[in-house]
Amino acid sequence: MSDMIPTPDTIPVSWGFLQFLLLLTFPLHIILMNAMLGSAIIALYARFRSGELWTRLSEDLAKALPLIVAFTINFGVAPLLFVQVLYGQFIYTSSILMGVFWLSIILLLIVAYYCTYLFDFKFAALGQAGKWIIGLAVVIFLGIAFLFSNNMTLMLRPGEWSLYWQNSGGTILNLGDVTLWPRYLHFIVGGTAVGGLAVALIGKFKAKRDPELAELAVTVGMRVFTVLTFVQIAIGFWFLLALDKPVMMMFMGENMLATVLLLAGIMLAIGVLWAASKKKVYLAAAHVIALLYVMTFMRAFVRAGYLQEVYTLDMLQVIPQYSPMIVFFVVLVAGLATVVWLVRQAVEAA
Amino acid sequence: MNYPVWYLPTIGGAFFIALIAITHVFVSHFAVGGGLYLIFAERLGLRRNSQAILDFTKKHAKFFILITLVFGSMTGVGIWFIIALASAGGTSLLIHNFVFGWAIEWVFFVVEIVAAFVYFYTFGKMKPSTHQAVGWVYFGAAWASLFIINGILSFMLTPGAWLESGNFWIGFFNPTFWPSLFFRTFIATMLAGVYAFLTCSFLRDGELKKTMTRFSGWWVLVSFLASIPFGYWYLNVLPEPARDLVAGKSPTIQTALDYGLYAIGLVFVLSLVLTLIRPALNVKPVAFLIMMGAFVFLGAFEWSREAARRPFVINQVMYSNGLMPVDVEKANAVGFLQSAKWTSIREVTPENLQQAGAEIFQHQCYACHTVNGWNNDIVPLTESMSYRAMVSYIQTIHEKRYFMPPFAGTDAEAQALAAYLVGGLHGKEIVMAAPVAESAVARGALVFEESCSACHGYDAIAPSMAGWNADRIREALDNLSQLNEMMEDFSGTTAEKEALTQYLLTGGEVATDGAVLFEENCSMCHGLAEIRPGMVGWDRAKIRQSLDNLSAINQMMEDYDGTPSEKDALADYLAAAVAGGDQ
Repeated sequence: MSDMIPTPDTIPVSWGFLQFLLLLTFPLHIILMNAMLGSAIIALYARFRSGELWTRLSEDLAKALPLIVAFTINFGVAPLLFVQVLYGQFIYTSSILMGVFWLSIILLLIVAYYCTYLFDFKFAALGQAGKWIIGLAVVIFLGIAFLFSNNMTLMLRPGEWSLYWQNSGGTILNLGDVTLWPRYLHFIVGGTAVGGLAVALIGKFKAKRDPELAELAVTVGMRVFTVLTFVQIAIGFWFLLALDKPVMMMFMGENMLATVLLLAGIMLAIGVLWAASKKKVYLAAAHVIALLYVMTFMRAFVRAGYLQEVYTLDMLQVIPQYSPMIVFFVVLVAGLATVVWLVRQAVEAA
Repeated sequence: MNYPVWYLPTIGGAFFIALIAITHVFVSHFAVGGGLYLIFAERLGLRRNSQAILDFTKKHAKFFILITLVFGSMTGVGIWFIIALASAGGTSLLIHNFVFGWAIEWVFFVVEIVAAFVYFYTFGKMKPSTHQAVGWVYFGAAWASLFIINGILSFMLTPGAWLESGNFWIGFFNPTFWPSLFFRTFIATMLAGVYAFLTCSFLRDGELKKTMTRFSGWWVLVSFLASIPFGYWYLNVLPEPARDLVAGKSPTIQTALDYGLYAIGLVFVLSLVLTLIRPALNVKPVAFLIMMGAFVFLGAFEWSREAARRPFVINQVMYSNGLMPVDVEKANAVGFLQSAKWTSIREVTPENLQQAGAEIFQHQCYACHTVNGWNNDIVPLTESMSYRAMVSYIQTIHEKRYFMPPFAGTDAEAQALAAYLVGGLHGKEIVMAAPVAESAVARGALVFEESCSACHGYDAIAPSMAGWNADRIREALDNLSQLNEMMEDFSGTTAEKEALTQYLLTGGEVATDGAVLFEENCSMCHGLAEIRPGMVGWDRAKIRQSLDNLSAINQMMEDYDGTPSEKDALADYLAAAVAGGDQ
């Protein structure tokens, strides 16, 4: 099995920097992905409800969706870059094994992305037909998430790679993996829950201009959030128990940091539910962001745990060249400052 | 060899790369130039105080957002996906070496998106000077993205002194960086005009259409003319092999450049007409035609740039098939199948010959060749070759045709690959023997090889045969044991003895069978039937002479470097073929 693992290339800075950047940027992608999934599903649901207020909610979400999609994709780029640097030999291989599905993501996303624009720009003209458009986008989003779950688990299972000898056409999925379904559900149920919270937030922003709509958005969003968070906690435990025993045991005391993270996650989840029950949208959102970071760190432990027999990050050879990273940080700061300026101008103009 | 091969024999990964990459560059250059166009179009509207021009600009901005933000960014991510699938080793090398280059590009991508949204959604609602500033921020970020990508793309063609130092900045600011950057910048502003023609063609207001078509036309014309010196500079800094390939040594580049030239000619002439003569002619089909022309031109340029670094995917560093020169050396020493990670067969045996060959094909050839597909299909390309010719061709493939990577592996592996290509794909016999020799001399050479060559070659016995005639040779063959007691008298048939005599008489010039020479030297590129029409009316003298000047007939050919008698034999064979004889 390990003789099929490709030899990795060298890295220019110590792996810790790259891991830091990976863990910093991935939750941002997840937050946006959640907002995208949740608001698309709620926009679809709202289109099924009768009443002018529901239509307005759907239309409001329609306006936000193309932007959220753009930033979800954009913020997916950075973590995908850093994971390729740290785990390239695994993720390139698993991607090739499922090449047809993996490449299809591009086409699917283009379709879904245009659906969100169509749903926005032609909202009134489409009328009830808009259901089909945004419905297609939702189905595609859920499908893409499934393909991602497949790849992210297949890359951790070099033992399964010998499936290639029966199928080199790139149509392998990791369906035999017991963690696949809980992992997938963990992402989409949790994602929709957080998406509900995002809808509540979008409503809050509108509170002054359209209090009636804001009220509906907060009510619906927080209900979705609360109910699905309960479901999510159950799925989380299913996922935990489905993990290979040595990996699971890391969270049960064998690795102190991993265990602390699990406990912190549970406490944050309780905090989230408490804030939600009080309809404290901003407080719940702050908890959720912290929780998503904690879960991302746990995910890094799962990944390292599955691969520890064959690979640890310190095996990467460093040929030091720090100056490009320094330039990157400078550009990042300048870029963020520019974004702040742009947003300020836009807010003033509005 | 380090990574598995995603094997879709009839389509090929290269097809997807070309498809996604060419559509992407057509949009991404527009994303750069189009941003600048929006600023100036808006400024024109503001200066002339024309709401119509401002409305046009806003409409164009919407089209711009829908094309660049969705299709542009998704195909950009798409290139990254497909190159990692089709060429994982090369992608990994670029990602690891330039990780912070890509990361910087991502920051510009973030700024670009935010600025594009702000520009579009606040159009007409923001103070004009601020709105223009937002436009400039957009253009700055988009051009900076081009700046970064250009560094990495041009690195792949000309890594320059990076090869020694491995230094990020030296690789980034490589020999083609600047000419390529300026060339692409002007291509980007040219495309801004081309895309704007399309938006203009939808305008109903005749006066506005005239104004904006002219305005857009100047973008195309000026940009195109400005790009020419940078294109010339670009060509001049190319290293020797790449320049030769672009100048005619590569058949695919030649075709691409021909199309590209016609296409840009069309764009230029039509733009000239629309700008200087009749802007009203800018109707949808014309605008679309210009767009197609620009698409073909850009596609031809990108294709040629990619093909010019052949046989490498990263020049001098990694071959198109993902092998590095050091991998080739290792494979030659211990065997490719032994040293590769993703082959199921580890050693060639008589039983697995074709299967091993198929695996080697997937790893070493499939990066560029499909099987029964339409993109550089290996089947017609190998149609006229025998197993023997194929084995010899594979072993010298890089020397014979520079743009093909060298074969990596042992002799047995080369034979396995040849067996797959000749036996597996064409169902021909896998035998090492030459085709049945036509002439007595050639038959004699075979007899010599079988009966004599185990102990001595021709050269070893030539001095002692000096001045012998046919009869003397026949007599000696009957009494070999008397010449040297280690030999036995020749015991072959009379015909064999006669053939051997003729062979010894001619002085050991053996392989003078023109058909064999043709197969060994010509058939990998063309069969007889393909060249015969072009040689109608040629006599033997002309054919003989042309063998010394093949490069003058077609730059992709090398002058034939056989011995004088081989040239004669090949000329005889071709002359007979032209006269209507041998197929």
